[in-house]
Amino acid sequence: MNVTQESPQTGNPPEERSINPFLASLWAETLKIRRSRVPLFTAIGFSLMPLAGGLFMIILKDPEAARSMGLISAKAQLMVGVADWPAYFNFMSQAVAAGGLILFSIVTTWVFGREFSDHTAKEMLALPTSREAIVTAKFIVTSVWAMAVTLLIFGLSLAVGTLIVLPGWSTVLLRSAFVGILGCAFFTLGLIPFVALLASIGRGYLPPFGWTILTMVLAQFAAILGWGDWFPWAIPGLFSGVAGPRAEALGTHSYVLLLLTSIAGFAATYYWWRSADQTR
Amino acid sequence: MPNAIETRQLTKRFGDVLAVDAIDLCVGTGEIYGFLGLNGAGKTTTIRALLGMIRPSEGEVKVLGQAVGPNGRGPWAQVGHLVESPSAYPELSVRENLDIARRLHGKPDSSLVDDIIERLALASYADRKAGTLSMGNLQRLGLARALLHKPELLILDEPANGLDPAGVIEVRELLRTLARDKGATIFMSSHILTEVDRLATRIGIIHKGRLIEELTAGDLEKLRTKRLEIRSRNFEAAQICLRSAGYPFTVKDETITILHPHAIEHPDDIAHILVNAGAAPTRLAVEQQNLEEHFMELTADSLTRESPK
Repeated sequence: MNVTQESPQTGNPPEERSINPFLASLWAETLKIRRSRVPLFTAIGFSLMPLAGGLFMIILKDPEAARSMGLISAKAQLMVGVADWPAYFNFMSQAVAAGGLILFSIVTTWVFGREFSDHTAKEMLALPTSREAIVTAKFIVTSVWAMAVTLLIFGLSLAVGTLIVLPGWSTVLLRSAFVGILGCAFFTLGLIPFVALLASIGRGYLPPFGWTILTMVLAQFAAILGWGDWFPWAIPGLFSGVAGPRAEALGTHSYVLLLLTSIAGFAATYYWWRSADQTR
Repeated sequence: MPNAIETRQLTKRFGDVLAVDAIDLCVGTGEIYGFLGLNGAGKTTTIRALLGMIRPSEGEVKVLGQAVGPNGRGPWAQVGHLVESPSAYPELSVRENLDIARRLHGKPDSSLVDDIIERLALASYADRKAGTLSMGNLQRLGLARALLHKPELLILDEPANGLDPAGVIEVRELLRTLARDKGATIFMSSHILTEVDRLATRIGIIHKGRLIEELTAGDLEKLRTKRLEIRSRNFEAAQICLRSAGYPFTVKDETITILHPHAIEHPDDIAHILVNAGAAPTRLAVEQQNLEEHFMELTADSLTRESPK
């Protein structure tokens, strides 16, 4: 340690050029997500969905082989029914709605909760970069990652469907499937702020995981009882067509509720980061 | 020039627990202020309040003349900090961890990272993942992050924690250089009392959430001064003969204290005077209190209460 070198000095020259705080936060969050294995492995896990769907399609295309495969065949028939592009895209939408909530929650939990598990949150508080900029960067990085992975699996599903030569292709179907799958991911992302809030309040990983499981179970109950359109956490699933055509399952009130839930989650997360005592 | 740190009646409660109780702190620019206290005394809570990490229940905090806002706003571009144990993103290298800190401090000059790596002797670890660092090197990384942006004020919680003896000396010299040559203000807490004693120009002792004593450089010097302590069965006669012999003294708790250099160098002469006056000493000892003893005295009630039976 050479103490004779240049040392900190009093004051900062007012004319000194500085980095935009928001861009600095975005850079930092991007570096963290790039270096970590959690988002990578989660993306790999998400990418298995088109492959699983493709496997079901192969089984359904060949009933003889399906029968010889026993339970897997029965399960495949139960889930998708017929082997064609509409069924495959339908499967993918539902997979994004259900799997997306879990996988997006994992990444959101990691992005927010790791700051407390690794005790790095305290390094982000007394900075010229505002806490709002840091939280916004975290949300943006999580959302970009989630939408990029969704696009990746949509591309993969196109490749898998083409490889196994599924019937029933059309450009209209492609457009509708794109909107359906991206819409499911988008609406699922709208539920993520509460996961971020729980990761922050709970200062770690377990509370947001518990929250995700709880909301998934409640969404099932709400859908079964016919109140799914009034329960924000059931909306991505209903949008995916899991309970029939989305136009019948959802109304304008559903989207408004989802939007309000999302806004409430964002606002609560920002408020917590601004105001809560940071003791870890 | 405003004080570097000012608190007025700073109070923090966590539920029923009063962690910090009406602390008035005033740390001048360029001072090295040592903040001492037992575990749970309220040191870290005070430091977190200074850094806007927790909201005071009552009172005000000003840092570099600017009020620390309820939303954590403050003059943080000019403040470096190390709070409790050092931390870093384990999957990122030392350089990347520092680069994040540099950018979040809004500093475009990437050479700052190289400079601080060199200064904190982290060059051989610069490209190693922070998760593989030893505790001592992690502490160096934490200090590097605190110093990276050349702050006016350093708020350090246990800066020597985890460092080997050579590292402790290096950090001490580094902090002393910053204060002396660059006018930086340093507010540091530490359990290593000798370290604080060597470095601090002023010391505050916090106990059960209250700032119970502040010692200036003069007080610290007095603490280190040798003295001759005398007790005698014939206390009155002892005082009379010492006064006659020309030794100024003070009396407290039936103990006579002499600071006269000759008496300290030749206690046998004093013994002779006392015996001749018929006031033979029952205790005659040259004492030199240090900060540690003083601290133990001040916080004795807790130590007695908390010691195992």
